[in-house]
Amino acid sequence: MIKIKQALFLIFGITSFIIFYIGFLNYITTQDESVGLVILISSAIVSIGTLIATFYISNNITKPIELLAKRMNEFSKNNFIVKKSLDDKGIQELKILNENFEDMAKKVGGALEKEKLLNANLQEMDIRKTEFMSMISHELKTPIMPIMGYLQMLKKEEIMGKLNEKQLDALNEITISTEKLQKLIHDVLTAQKIDLGQLSVEKDIVEAKTLVENSYKAFYPICENKDVKLIMILKTSEMVYSDVDRISQVFSNLISNALAFVPEKNGVIEIGTRDNSDNVTFFVRDNGVGIPENMQKNIFKKFYQVDTSSKRKKDGSGLGLSICEGIVRKLGGRMWVESTINQGSTFFFDLPKAKIPVETFKHLKNSNRLRETIS
Amino acid sequence: MSNTMSSSDNQDESRLNVLVIDDNEQITKMISSFLDLSNHDCTVVNDGKEGMELIKTKAFDSIVLDLAMPEFDGYEILDTLQKEDSSQLSKIIVLTASNVPIETVRKFKELGISSCLQKPVDIDQLLLKITSVAT
Repeated sequence: MIKIKQALFLIFGITSFIIFYIGFLNYITTQDESVGLVILISSAIVSIGTLIATFYISNNITKPIELLAKRMNEFSKNNFIVKKSLDDKGIQELKILNENFEDMAKKVGGALEKEKLLNANLQEMDIRKTEFMSMISHELKTPIMPIMGYLQMLKKEEIMGKLNEKQLDALNEITISTEKLQKLIHDVLTAQKIDLGQLSVEKDIVEAKTLVENSYKAFYPICENKDVKLIMILKTSEMVYSDVDRISQVFSNLISNALAFVPEKNGVIEIGTRDNSDNVTFFVRDNGVGIPENMQKNIFKKFYQVDTSSKRKKDGSGLGLSICEGIVRKLGGRMWVESTINQGSTFFFDLPKAKIPVETFKHLKNSNRLRETIS
Repeated sequence: MSNTMSSSDNQDESRLNVLVIDDNEQITKMISSFLDLSNHDCTVVNDGKEGMELIKTKAFDSIVLDLAMPEFDGYEILDTLQKEDSSQLSKIIVLTASNVPIETVRKFKELGISSCLQKPVDIDQLLLKITSVAT
């Protein structure tokens, strides 16, 4: 590395020395002494002049460049520089360079300041949003409590007296709507928790078939009411890491969806398990209308509906599948769909196998040491 | 503002004395009228401080406690009980609309709190818990 000043002095120093040396050689070899002296003196003057000029030029070049370097450094540290006016004596190009840099720094500095402010605003908005959601969650759930409580009480003949059929009908309608509202609130809050990464799950060791059986028992009467055949296919007795309540939420969403799409006659829903080496695959299969291939990749997105027309048969928030996917992902599994138009859809999800033999499990179950927790 | 809603002087063994602490008046009114109709005695307070005083001065078979309340909240009541009278903790049924993280639920269990129910709760389930705590 070499400094401009050093380079200039090196080049012009050597040049002036050569000029002086030539003058000197000329002086000792020439016949005419007076001419030789004139040449010697003028060469000395030229080389001294060159050195002075070099000193002047190098100062004029290096000073503004050093200043520019210092200000760039200052800017990269603070995103801000102090305005400085240069005198007109220096090199014009360097002066322009300094001024241009000053302009640029002013603009970039302003933009950076704006971005900082914007980021701070966004962060604050995010905190507000979380606070708002938790407030809304509380405020939405609270009024449902007395509504559901009084509905339950009104249906108790022994404490509230007998209602006539019309009154009971009205009561049932209110109950259905309230339950829908309750589920919607629950879904919105669960989706919000998934978004914020705040969904908490237990990782208990559970028999895979228990998870299916629980949902089978819960949905068998509902399916029978709608004349839909519910079939259970269990092909493994493995243990998996799972959260019983969350997985019944997943099955409940999937089976409810299936129920909405099976044909009115000969509707069939199969639920079950399949054994793999590291995990167990669970599935819910229906013989419904199916999902077009180009829409399959989007159905796990929040608020996505395959049929968005106002005439669509199925109502819902479009949150169900995104919640299912979020829960399964949190439990360390993944979720996917296979579907053929007019033949039906199958929703799959897998859960990691618990590396523990069934016999040990039965022993552990009694000693209550099973619970494993993840945050 | 506390009012005891005992409907009769029946000294029935199965008759329970329940305290409900919740700042929401609609909820306390509903629970107390349900308990009353189910032949239990229910005392209602809509303020945490008053609730704390009642727990200290009167004996209850079971206490239904809301968490989010202005000024003196459910957590503060639980804290005070833990320090001063931890035997009462086993009578507490937490009833809340807030999100209670799993870690907190576990902490409740360690403290001996019988259960943590989410609003809206099935009133039959609530009654079942109240009965199981009291006996």
